[in-house]
Amino acid sequence: MDEYQTEEETAFIVEDVSKIIKESVEAAIGGSTYQHSRVNQWTTSVVEQCLSQLSKLGKPFKYIVTCIIMQKNGAGLQTASACFWDNSTDGKMNHYIIENTVLNYHTLGKLQARIHR
Amino acid sequence: MSDQLKDKHQRRERRTVKVPSDGSHGVRVKEATIRKNTEREIIVSSMDELGHHDENTRMVVTMENTYQTAPHKRFPVPAVTHILKDVLSSYLQQEKYEVEWSQKMTKTICEVIRARVKDLMIPRYKIVVLVHIGQQAGQSMQMSSRCLWDATTDSFACYSFTNSSLFGVATVYGVYFE
Repeated sequence: MDEYQTEEETAFIVEDVSKIIKESVEAAIGGSTYQHSRVNQWTTSVVEQCLSQLSKLGKPFKYIVTCIIMQKNGAGLQTASACFWDNSTDGKMNHYIIENTVLNYHTLGKLQARIHR
Repeated sequence: MSDQLKDKHQRRERRTVKVPSDGSHGVRVKEATIRKNTEREIIVSSMDELGHHDENTRMVVTMENTYQTAPHKRFPVPAVTHILKDVLSSYLQQEKYEVEWSQKMTKTICEVIRARVKDLMIPRYKIVVLVHIGQQAGQSMQMSSRCLWDATTDSFACYSFTNSSLFGVATVYGVYFE
């Protein structure tokens, strides 16, 4: 018995995912200022919230979510990524938020979980 | 009859990927022939797409069953960590943070790491490499990452390097593709 993946199941809906990331960040951090003691808790909650919302989408994907929270100090930060995957099925998106004292940078990668024939 | 026998003994997949003739620029097609045994020549063609997504539809890739349920060779975390340590130390030792230099350096380091991990030739693993270089200015930061994957087959390796004026963090994720 063959299973076929429809186009909707395998498509990567950018708006939905972007909304999920924004909501997780706002829920976890809101407008707070940078506090070293709490930042560990923030990153964990942002990432976990993101991941649980993504898994609720029910798509056949594996996800990698990375979050960087940095104090705004005038220091510079450069980021780059390189991937070895299948461009037609896999993708990534970045998202960053800068508030008063906090810079929050988010990267999400999605990789196709399995092939259906 | 003989064809069926040959199919049974086949261990490698046979893939054919076709791209329309007016495909997006920046598409490189690499073909490699691997001689599995004297009877049969198996052609594996892979495609490396540079940059952006292909808007046009592609032919669906059909693959034969290989009946392989688990990876033969897992993601070698210590070897990859060693690569990361090697690359970061050699590129960032004795360097000072400068904006343009570090922009180029992050991209370069990323590509070097990806090439070296690919050279390890771990079959059926997809690789994601992330590199961050930042200035050391007394600020505080926290990086975290979570993944939704199969913990028995997928893994990651990371390494961080610091000197007096900058810090560099490299992370490599290896994800098994059935």
